[in-house]
Amino acid sequence: MAAARISRGQYGARLKYVLLLPAVVWVVAFTFLPLVSVIRYSFAAYVLGRGITGYVGLANYIEVVNSARFWHSIMVTAIYVAVSVPVEVALGFLIAWLVHLGPPGTRTFRTIIGAPLFTMEVAIGYLGVTMFSSQGGLIAVLLAKIGIDIPWLSSAWGGLAAAIVLDIWRWTSFMFLIVLAGLGSITTELYDAAILDAKNHWQVMWRLAVPLAWPVTSIAILLRTIESLKVFAIPFALTTGGPGTSTEVFSATDYLTTIQFFDFGKGSAMGIVFLIMVSAVITVFFRQMRRRLG
Amino acid sequence: MTNVLWVRASMWSRLIVYVLLIGAAAWTLMPFAWAIVNSVKTLADTFQAGAIIPFVDFTPTLKSWDEVLSDPQVVRAFVSSIVVSAGTTVFVLLLGVPAAYSLARFEFPIDSNDITLWFLSQRVLPPAVVLVPFYLLMVQFRLIDTWTGLIFCYSTFNLAFAVVIMRDIFRDVSTEIEDAAKVEGASAWQVFWMIALPLSLDGLVVTSVLVFAFSWNEALFASALTSQDAMTFSALVLASRSTRGVDFNIASVNTLIGIIPPVILYFFVQRYLARGLSFGAVKG
Repeated sequence: MAAARISRGQYGARLKYVLLLPAVVWVVAFTFLPLVSVIRYSFAAYVLGRGITGYVGLANYIEVVNSARFWHSIMVTAIYVAVSVPVEVALGFLIAWLVHLGPPGTRTFRTIIGAPLFTMEVAIGYLGVTMFSSQGGLIAVLLAKIGIDIPWLSSAWGGLAAAIVLDIWRWTSFMFLIVLAGLGSITTELYDAAILDAKNHWQVMWRLAVPLAWPVTSIAILLRTIESLKVFAIPFALTTGGPGTSTEVFSATDYLTTIQFFDFGKGSAMGIVFLIMVSAVITVFFRQMRRRLG
Repeated sequence: MTNVLWVRASMWSRLIVYVLLIGAAAWTLMPFAWAIVNSVKTLADTFQAGAIIPFVDFTPTLKSWDEVLSDPQVVRAFVSSIVVSAGTTVFVLLLGVPAAYSLARFEFPIDSNDITLWFLSQRVLPPAVVLVPFYLLMVQFRLIDTWTGLIFCYSTFNLAFAVVIMRDIFRDVSTEIEDAAKVEGASAWQVFWMIALPLSLDGLVVTSVLVFAFSWNEALFASALTSQDAMTFSALVLASRSTRGVDFNIASVNTLIGIIPPVILYFFVQRYLARGLSFGAVKG
């Protein structure tokens, strides 16, 4: 063992850096350097065609902090993530457990339920219009028939709710596929032991599957939260942020500020404020999860 | 593989499991079915939400398909999406797979788990935040509205995932054969190129499909950085959503065109998908 270690230490000593460095350089060049320039732009006055015309101190930040539209987009994003991610985690886990039981037809169920992850989000948002529209939309019409008449796309709450439903439809599959992979590592002997002291089926799930699949599940939750905070396509394709700007998520606000109004200084400052908030949330979240892992 | 719990489950438990699974499958299939039905309706028929069954409730027609597919802009956007997604996939694999192998097999002064986490940490950065520098970079290098520009951006966003997933896959491959080859005098490069890579082919395919699907899906940068020549299908869908409003039949055809290519790829690789999504490496 010791001998193998030593030989491995010398073996490929140069190659390992040759293989790794291009990716590292790429990430530094195109993730960290752009981030540095965002910070620079956030303190600058930028005029399209002329570039940076001067530095304005905190003016961009003050504008962002005083912008109702910005804070509203943060609130919309927060609600969106806080509702959709827990539902996706719970549903994804439950369905993965059921598929993991392996009833006849499992492969068909697995194939169907995993498919939404591979669909195009803007297309789903676009299709969502035809499902939530009060004029002949499938879901709107069906719900109206049983007395639930919600102005889905003509109200802020309705639009947000509809977008969240679509998000759950698409992203539950992500949790499902990862948890299913995690459950695959539980061996039969563990089940035999668990059956002996569990009262029923659901107890086996809670006592055995949930803890054993937790390492993979927790990573899936972390990844899903990270990705969910970037949300853009589904709500924007569904409502284009409307009515007004009431369902505009952060990415949509930043996108419009940058590309529609070419306000690069403000767009950059907005991004930095958001990034600080996101990093704080992710760090706290990550610590909590590590603690629970023990 | 049938679980021992299923074998011992009572009739009632089995029934509940089936009802729930069928419910989940129906919920998943519903939007597809709705899109297919609406795509063969005329605009007038789409106002009848209750008309579900073709030939019985309404006369199906391929007119909407014809209308969409005869639009050269749609064809061009579709081609753009294919080229950009495929280009990104190739480029990400070229950069990411060697790095992943290196992290899986070799020791570094810094713990390779930490290096992997460092790669993953860049996923925290929302693309919208770096839109300004990327936009200006594209302007400077005259890459606005080009395939190259988009491939460049998407490669940056997808590299981390590819590294993390492929590292996992390389670590799953037994090192015995590699060790044997080393004893035979193979160089480290030969071991990587002629042994590790061929043994990880299914993982490579899964990673490719995931990167392809994620690139295909992207809409924010596609909308910001392209306008005509390199406009992808996702950007086109978003643009027509805001300019043309929504005709159910046209929206449905567009949705199906946008959904089909990655979903077909998924069907081919779904058996191996569990390998690519186990994320065992970052357990810490």
